[in-house]
Amino acid sequence: MKMAARPTPAANLAARASRAPTAQSHSGEQAVRWRGATYLLPALLFLGLFFLVPLLGLLLRGVLEPTPGLGNYEQLFASSAYSKVLFNTFAVASLVTLFSLLLGFPLAWAITLTPNGWGRWLLNIVLLSMWTSLLARTYSWLVLLQSSGVINSTLQSLGLINEPLAMVHNLTGVVIGMSYIMIPFIVLPLQATMSAIDPMVLQAGSICGASPLRSFFKVFLPLCRPGIFSGGLMVFVMSLGYYVTPALLGGAQNMMLPEFIIQQVQSFLNWGLASAAAALLILITLVLFYVYLKLQAESPVASSTAR
Amino acid sequence: MSAVITDTSQAAATPLVRLSKLNKHYGDFVAVDNLSLDIHEGEFLTFLGSSGSGKSTTLSMLAGFETPSSGEILVQGKSLINVPPHKRDIGMVFQRYSLFPHLSVRGNISFPLDIRKLAADECERRVEAMLKLVQLESFAHRRPSQLSGGQQQRVAIARALVYEPRILLMDEPLGALDKKLREDLQDELRHLHRRLGITIVYVTHDQEEAMRLSQRIAIFSHGRIVGLGTGQTLYQNPPNAFVASFLGNSNFLQGTLTGNASVQFEQQALAIKPQNLPLNSDVLLMVRPEKAQVLPLDAPTPLLTGWNEITAQVSEVVFLGDSLTCSVVTPGGSRLTVKALPHGQAPLHSGAQVRVRWAAADACVYSEWNAADLSKSAAH
Repeated sequence: MKMAARPTPAANLAARASRAPTAQSHSGEQAVRWRGATYLLPALLFLGLFFLVPLLGLLLRGVLEPTPGLGNYEQLFASSAYSKVLFNTFAVASLVTLFSLLLGFPLAWAITLTPNGWGRWLLNIVLLSMWTSLLARTYSWLVLLQSSGVINSTLQSLGLINEPLAMVHNLTGVVIGMSYIMIPFIVLPLQATMSAIDPMVLQAGSICGASPLRSFFKVFLPLCRPGIFSGGLMVFVMSLGYYVTPALLGGAQNMMLPEFIIQQVQSFLNWGLASAAAALLILITLVLFYVYLKLQAESPVASSTAR
Repeated sequence: MSAVITDTSQAAATPLVRLSKLNKHYGDFVAVDNLSLDIHEGEFLTFLGSSGSGKSTTLSMLAGFETPSSGEILVQGKSLINVPPHKRDIGMVFQRYSLFPHLSVRGNISFPLDIRKLAADECERRVEAMLKLVQLESFAHRRPSQLSGGQQQRVAIARALVYEPRILLMDEPLGALDKKLREDLQDELRHLHRRLGITIVYVTHDQEEAMRLSQRIAIFSHGRIVGLGTGQTLYQNPPNAFVASFLGNSNFLQGTLTGNASVQFEQQALAIKPQNLPLNSDVLLMVRPEKAQVLPLDAPTPLLTGWNEITAQVSEVVFLGDSLTCSVVTPGGSRLTVKALPHGQAPLHSGAQVRVRWAAADACVYSEWNAADLSKSAAH
């Protein structure tokens, strides 16, 4: 509601600026900056009604139900079962970020280095996997990883293992499945960053005396930093709130926060605790987003494009 | 060709770098064709040529970014062929600066020293000296993107010099800068070379830049060196018609040898420098526009001995401030350009009959040439 009212003072300001020629330079600039603001109205209205209001309602439930106060939050941090859910969430998100970075970095590099046509094909394959239904991809991992699945039966027939490995319905399965699903979100920003790097800069590094390994760590990796950060943070934030893959590949013992929220709502009708957990997730996401914005502003690529 | 490449003036000194029978093929395309060259300690040598002439490829092979298809690169007698770029101890300045965008000016300059793990105080001292040399002390903390093109190039030069390499390679380093800045930096570079005494190999397609900077110029065409020497020698005594037409402006007159020192050109006998060529062979005379004079038909000036005179018709006169460029056509249809000083003389008009004179000693004579060499456009 408040959002919707916002453009009005801006419109007033613009009107005032046109009336007062003495203050033209400063308020004129302001007027130009806010000139298009009225066009934001429909979107702001939509967001306000269907996103902010329900969100506010949810957050309020966290402090109002079942009794007003911070009881839900206390419960969330005090109970060892609940803090284990928090730990699981962070552990899985961190591991997924790490693995998808480790897998995505060479892939992005390969796409950047391969000559035009083939690089595009590689990129298209990555995109195609991203556009395929999430459920289909997650179930395929189930087929691969389950105890009678492709991997276990192959390893057993080769005589490498006697008992099937437990790779699904636990956090291992979640990490494997999500790392795969997150790779495109690493590859796309990273590949964009890498292709913007002038290859002559790497030649300059080597003529300055840096061996290929040192060139990589002292020149290439620092130049990839913006892509690593934006991709890594995106994956981390997405992993924190991911539901489908953990629900299918994970187990009932080791839940992540989104699963926990759904369980609280659907099984126990405990809206208060679910809201508190959701609020926590939003807070973490916002903090990470803030960090991301701070880092992006300082990145060398950002400053060179600002020129 | 081999007579051109052997430079007699500095033959006594042992070369710092010796390129011998260097070849580079890309599939069917021959980028560098059996090239041999000696580079002497402390000299400023420029590779001059149009794009695709093999000059940059030769430089890349020297730097180690390209591997020769065959041939040898020796530095102080040791082969460089299997030495990777980072172990060659060569400095290089790139066309588009190629500074490290994530490092400050100071970080860029100290990068080669950090790699070499120099002691902190020594590193500090050298970086300060370099910043002073390129006059960027007050910009030390800035990122390359916050500098102008000229400043970035000075950082690149400082980065290439700070580890005191044996050889400094420069690949069209001033190409991206505007004319005024380019001339300033050319002067700075020349002074820098004189002060430091470092060996510089410089690549450019700009002949004026080559003349302004270098002690010796190697002119590249189709992967070969077709002319090697000081700018003055190459300009005044081009070893072949290609160099003559490539460097500066030139007039070509085709004639037939009628004697040891005389040529038949369009029914006129011309004197030339004595040649050791068979009679009746075709020869090509080259006269620089500024070596020729143009006089009105009725001018009373007598013809000096050792000078040639032909009549021609003025087709165009262009005033260029410090000179007049006068295009004339001989009765046989040969076109000549004469650079005349705009003083004293009666003004020339197009259509007027004139006499064109030059000293026989100022004309170069060639017995072999390609038609393509004679038009300047073919060189570009």
